[in-house]
Amino acid sequence: MITVENLSFSYTKNPFISGMNFSVSKGEIFGFLGPSGAGKSTLQKILIGMLRTYQGSCLVNGIECKKRTKQFYENIGVDFEFSTMYEKLTAKENLQFFSSLYEKEPRPIEELLKLVGLEQDANKRVADYSKGMKSRLNFIKALLHDPILLCLDEPTSGLDPTNSRMIKHMILEEKAKGKTILLTTHNMQDAAELCDRVAFIVNGKICALDSPHSLIMSKGAATVTYTWIENGEHSASCPLERISSDERLKGLIVQNRLQSIHSNEPTLNDIFMEITGRTLL
Amino acid sequence: MLLVSCLAPIFVGFFFRFAIPFLDAILMGCFHMAAILSPYYKLVDILFANLTPIMFCFVSAMVSLEETDEKIAVYLFITPLGKTGYIFARFGVTAIIAFFVTIILLPFFKLTDLPLITILLLAVGGTLQGLIVVLLVLTISSNKLEGMAVAKLSMLPVFGAAIPFFIKSNVQYAASPLPSFWIGKAIIENMSLYLLPALVLSVVWICFLLKWYLHKI
Repeated sequence: MITVENLSFSYTKNPFISGMNFSVSKGEIFGFLGPSGAGKSTLQKILIGMLRTYQGSCLVNGIECKKRTKQFYENIGVDFEFSTMYEKLTAKENLQFFSSLYEKEPRPIEELLKLVGLEQDANKRVADYSKGMKSRLNFIKALLHDPILLCLDEPTSGLDPTNSRMIKHMILEEKAKGKTILLTTHNMQDAAELCDRVAFIVNGKICALDSPHSLIMSKGAATVTYTWIENGEHSASCPLERISSDERLKGLIVQNRLQSIHSNEPTLNDIFMEITGRTLL
Repeated sequence: MLLVSCLAPIFVGFFFRFAIPFLDAILMGCFHMAAILSPYYKLVDILFANLTPIMFCFVSAMVSLEETDEKIAVYLFITPLGKTGYIFARFGVTAIIAFFVTIILLPFFKLTDLPLITILLLAVGGTLQGLIVVLLVLTISSNKLEGMAVAKLSMLPVFGAAIPFFIKSNVQYAASPLPSFWIGKAIIENMSLYLLPALVLSVVWICFLLKWYLHKI
């Protein structure tokens, strides 16, 4: 679906993105993770044909992005982090207007509004919407023309846990329909939950690219920490894969003396910090 | 407010058509002169031919700046509409409508005998002038507030048409880079050939400003 080879881009004389290579298969959720200013948004702008002065090759759905035509956009849905709605129009009017820009038959507007719980507010002006409502409306706008590629920029930003869960569920539903999804986020939990593969981007370069699970596993296995009472409280840890050879733990289990036991899996955030030496903020 | 701006040419048209000759008659009576304002009626007609396209294009510019402020324009560029479609929809369609409205209004509100061909050429010149104004507003300003301020200044090139009426020496050619100057010259000297540099210069200005605007967005 997407093939990027030797991609370089610069706003000034200094390279901003350099030597980037990756590919994304059809039906895959691919995450771009990185701190602010790392080049994620620039990369997204290149992939959706907004920046065309790049070097190298960037094929999306078989079309070189710098040579895109209007047909290119019939198959791409973009959800920016910020609201891109006419504030003076209602949600329904906005969706009707934007769907009119596509040749494709749009998805039923009422159905989409219902999916994100906005059916009761369909006739309310967008100016009167909360940040979370605007974010949900923005998201369904990207789905209006049933695109085969979705570019989502922080889709759960500003949402409460329930609505965040709802949007994530919808993203997975789109994937199940065979859509390819590019997810740009700071949220490691979302990325670990949704993405088939993630690319860590720092200073315009991809530092690591793999599935979240593989990245976590490659940088250290989970450990098990347990506590018990013996002249005061004690604790010990052992790697999860060697738990059966920990004689003290076995003894404590047999004697039923364990006070607590829990496993510590490294998070994607830990792996990001380990690989890049940076945090996401 | 934008709707009122679109209706402004009609209000101004009534003023030009009826109030100016009335004022002229009063002034001639007061000063006992044969002509005071009437030598400039042709200039009034030129300004009126520019007014409708400029007001229509000003409204388009305000809508476009609001769309830029609200980041809607960025979204529209990544739909099948694209930048070209957006520019045509916002400014091209507006200019075409303004051209036809000018052709309808000018014969009704004109103060001098203008042949049909001159009305058509004035409407074309005015439409191109409107496009120059809108592109000046969009390229110089970055938001709606700035746009409103810039719009006032960007009207200044239109007044190049007045220069041949008031400056008879060769100094007038200092304003020759302005398309409106040649429109004024064509009308005052009754020589349609002067409309050619006006059209060529307008196209040059539009191409330059359009390139600048496309680079900006």
